[in-house]
Amino acid sequence: MGGLNRDYQIDGEIPPLVKEMTQEAINLFEGSSGESGPSQFTDETTAREVLGTEGTVASGRMSLTFAIELLRKYFGADIFNHSGMVDLRFLRPVRPGDTITFSGKISGITREANGSKVSVNITAQNQKGDTTGVGQGSAIVPNAYLPPED
Amino acid sequence: MVEANNKILLDWDALEVGETFEKYEYVLTQEMIDTYRKGVMDPDAGFPTISHKVDVKQYNAKYTDSGSVNARCAFYCYGPPVAGKKITVRAWITDKYLRRGKNYIVTEAVSVDEDGRLIDRVITHELKQPSEVGKKWGG
Repeated sequence: MGGLNRDYQIDGEIPPLVKEMTQEAINLFEGSSGESGPSQFTDETTAREVLGTEGTVASGRMSLTFAIELLRKYFGADIFNHSGMVDLRFLRPVRPGDTITFSGKISGITREANGSKVSVNITAQNQKGDTTGVGQGSAIVPNAYLPPED
Repeated sequence: MVEANNKILLDWDALEVGETFEKYEYVLTQEMIDTYRKGVMDPDAGFPTISHKVDVKQYNAKYTDSGSVNARCAFYCYGPPVAGKKITVRAWITDKYLRRGKNYIVTEAVSVDEDGRLIDRVITHELKQPSEVGKKWGG
């Protein structure tokens, strides 16, 4: 997936990303680093003891990963994987069984030395309409990917 | 205070901003990447380093506390890591703050591979009273 030529506009909405959270996905995410011990993410008893919740929750880092995917798909991997960033605050727990929709709207476009920095406001909502995370992301879009100036 | 497992019980007031941890090194395997991509349901996910939680790994190796909840996380992409490469992580305490009576610690980490390629930078704000999650959001 390369960089995508776009005409970026303030308030322009970017295509949403929907993720179905499962315990299996959480277990794979947690296990991918080689960690196998029980945690608040993988074990209900640990979650009850540490967090005081009835069940497990997904790591905020999973939501971070999905926000990164949202922007990578929008900007293209060639751009986002080398200049992208996401800063996300986690407002509510994400649990197995939740459907989380990540959406974004362009909030700013500023000139940089080698292109334009396109900033995006990001929101994550669950199937009940509750906001689970908010934040910002951005990427530096090289001039070659931008429409020629008049 | 040193616990039986040689970890230091966190004294939030005494924790120094700027404390830098010993470097952490690991080899990123293709299996790690594949498992991560399955977990996040994205065959093109480029930064499996996120799930390694390297920014707090050395903190957790040194300190013991009542656990934590990730309150905020920023991730900067510089170049996706390559399978089979050794990755070196340097992490430090970048800030700490008190908000609404709750203690937070901010850690920052930068990952570089064995060829000197900059991989990513991650900044994490951790709430050090994890039971607040259950109190606020219930079961």
